Amino acid sequence: MCSWFRSVYLVCRREFRLVFTDAGVILFFFLLPTVYPIVYTLIYNPEVVREMPVAVVDNSRTAASRSLVRSIDALPSAHVVGYASSLSEARQWYASHDCYAVVEIPRGYDRSIGRSEQAVVSLYCDASLLLRYRALLLDMTQLQIAFDADIRQQAVDIIGEPAYAAMGSASSVGTNAVFIGDTSQGFASFVMPGILMLILQQSLILGITMLAGGRAERRRANGGIDPLGVAASPLATIMGRLVCYLLIYLPMTVYVVVWIPSMFALPDSGSFVDYMLFVFPLLVSSCFLGMTLEVFVTERETSLLVVVFSSVVFLFLSGLSWPMYAITGFWRALASIVPATWGVQGFVRLLSHGSSLHAVASPYLHLWLLAALYALTAWLLVRFRRQPS
Amino acid sequence: MPFLSALKQSLILGCRRLVSRKIYFALMVFVPVGFALFFMDLMSEGLPLRAPVAVVDLDDSSLSRRVVRNLSSSELVDVAFRASSYAEALELVKSGKAYGFFIIPRDFMADAVGGRAAELSFYSDLTFFIPGTLTYKGFMATAVTASGGLVKTTLTASGLLDDRAAGVMLQPMVVQTHLLHNPWTNYSYYLSNSFIPGMFALVIFLITAFSVTTDIKQGTSPRWLAASGGNIYIATFGTLAPQTLVFTLLGFAVQALFYRFCGFPLHCPPLHMLSAWFLMVVASQAFALFVSGILVNMRLSLSVLSLLGILAFSVTGFSFPVEQMYPYIGVFSYLYPVRWYFLIYIDQALNGLPLYYSRFYYVILILFTLLPLASLWKLRRHCLRPVYLP
Repeated sequence: MCSWFRSVYLVCRREFRLVFTDAGVILFFFLLPTVYPIVYTLIYNPEVVREMPVAVVDNSRTAASRSLVRSIDALPSAHVVGYASSLSEARQWYASHDCYAVVEIPRGYDRSIGRSEQAVVSLYCDASLLLRYRALLLDMTQLQIAFDADIRQQAVDIIGEPAYAAMGSASSVGTNAVFIGDTSQGFASFVMPGILMLILQQSLILGITMLAGGRAERRRANGGIDPLGVAASPLATIMGRLVCYLLIYLPMTVYVVVWIPSMFALPDSGSFVDYMLFVFPLLVSSCFLGMTLEVFVTERETSLLVVVFSSVVFLFLSGLSWPMYAITGFWRALASIVPATWGVQGFVRLLSHGSSLHAVASPYLHLWLLAALYALTAWLLVRFRRQPS
Repeated sequence: MPFLSALKQSLILGCRRLVSRKIYFALMVFVPVGFALFFMDLMSEGLPLRAPVAVVDLDDSSLSRRVVRNLSSSELVDVAFRASSYAEALELVKSGKAYGFFIIPRDFMADAVGGRAAELSFYSDLTFFIPGTLTYKGFMATAVTASGGLVKTTLTASGLLDDRAAGVMLQPMVVQTHLLHNPWTNYSYYLSNSFIPGMFALVIFLITAFSVTTDIKQGTSPRWLAASGGNIYIATFGTLAPQTLVFTLLGFAVQALFYRFCGFPLHCPPLHMLSAWFLMVVASQAFALFVSGILVNMRLSLSVLSLLGILAFSVTGFSFPVEQMYPYIGVFSYLYPVRWYFLIYIDQALNGLPLYYSRFYYVILILFTLLPLASLWKLRRHCLRPVYLP
């Protein structure tokens, strides 16, 4: 038993040496998880869409329509770039990318309101990016509700006493919309917690498969024997390497899941202990997944190809962008064997909702299951590797 | 060696290279086509409708039940849970079972009919952006309809206004929204049109770098260069032109899938998009050739290009608009050929603008092809004296 622990220790020590003498692995183990979270957050850090250029076609040209335009200009998401004389001129502005939306106020805007007829204002909005039109549409809805209340109040004031009584009882049902989780509706706050999990998993796999590529190259050059290998049982081999990777990654994890959210004021409602407890099985299963994927890696360069392309697929399978309930069948099955999927599903809720570990029990257990599964496959791989004849 | 025979020999070598190793087929055909099919299939619904949500009905009156029925009939949400309290509903969201919840307060019907203040509250989980937005829309529509209906009933009952006037009183001013060319807010339209070309661009980066540096790694580059009469331009052209052909044809197939078979909007002559694709392929090859000419070392080129290429999906503004980024970040989006292709897609295929307005995007893509001129001399020098540093 004692010798088993000793061989784990020897494997671990050798692995440390391999890691720190390989510039490529250092790049992926240290530089990538340090720099990428910062780069990604900087890209998304403005969080919300502000001051989108909007053109106005005011066919009414009255005090009422000008007041509407001023209110549109005051919306956080809109910035009125100017009055176009007609819809076709506004179209030209749109075509030359001077505005993303056009508001058209009808000719009889003021008169309709005065006569208690419905005034219909048209909003033409570019639909190329979800974030752009989402921001403008939500703001315009709020504006419409505020304007309607205002106009209604004026009408009631004109009618006088009998209307006060009727309106008093009629306006009593209010609505109250609350956003939970990402309360600022920011994009970085939404996407970063998930991306952090993917960065942890992918950089681990990248480094591990690159080490494996080096091993394969050494074996090829030396007639099937790795001169830097350590003679140990299969279990000791994978455990020794796991310990090495974990020792490197636990400090990195503290940086990634604790420092990054507090540096950029991302959602951070959970507790440090929960974060670390949750991420631990993600690291273990990613390590073993990396050791399993070694089977596809025969050269140091191939590891890059395996990981780069899978990153985008894993991002979309994780349920961050396209929600989990809409992923079905084969893709659902594929998603469920990727550690980052469960990592994203659980960690995002720890961070944004301040959920307890108990609330994310299902992803947490799945991570441990995957850790066991990939430990088995990694063990099988080492156990039945073709020995040099 | 005469120019034409050098070119011919170099092209033959380039074609042979494509069938020499499995990795070319795997990367050039399997990865991008597989990704395109994955993407199209995953998002074939266009929008992830029927998000699971919870309802907390503390009133349990005929009116509150009608509100819940209205909510259930919305295509945006699926009332999958009935919770008995706010805390219980919140727990459903926290554990990821529901994406939002709707609360009808105690004595809602009595208060509403009696003219006392009553409030419908709804909570949307914006931790997941798309389902959060959809539940918000679904909840909002139900709540506004319910409160509007009540107001209208009261106003009519007061005898001051008739039915029509009461309706106008409810919404004296309406903003009618026209989402140009994508009124269904189909999510797949712009994600497929950006991420699939992005994946192609990434593959093109890596394959280009791989195929022009692999000879240096293996020490066979003097022979590779000699086959084209020692001319590095002919050598790289012969190597890359067959790949251009493959990527272009695959791209045309993907565009056919988008615009022909899946009915994505195409409001321009197909030639505009086909030529944009071809230019995007060539520009991406030129960019990768430029970078690998500078770096020369294969592993370094591959690492740098994949690290850059993977950032393309974020920094080119496929989801977060470039003009909203910090200027010193957003400026990097213009380094990526696929960004210009995406802009052409928005102008041409989606919005159907006259070609005139997109002219610069095409010009810039063409200018990308001049990039390698700045670094090929270095590649040539290293090809003559190949030294591989592992």
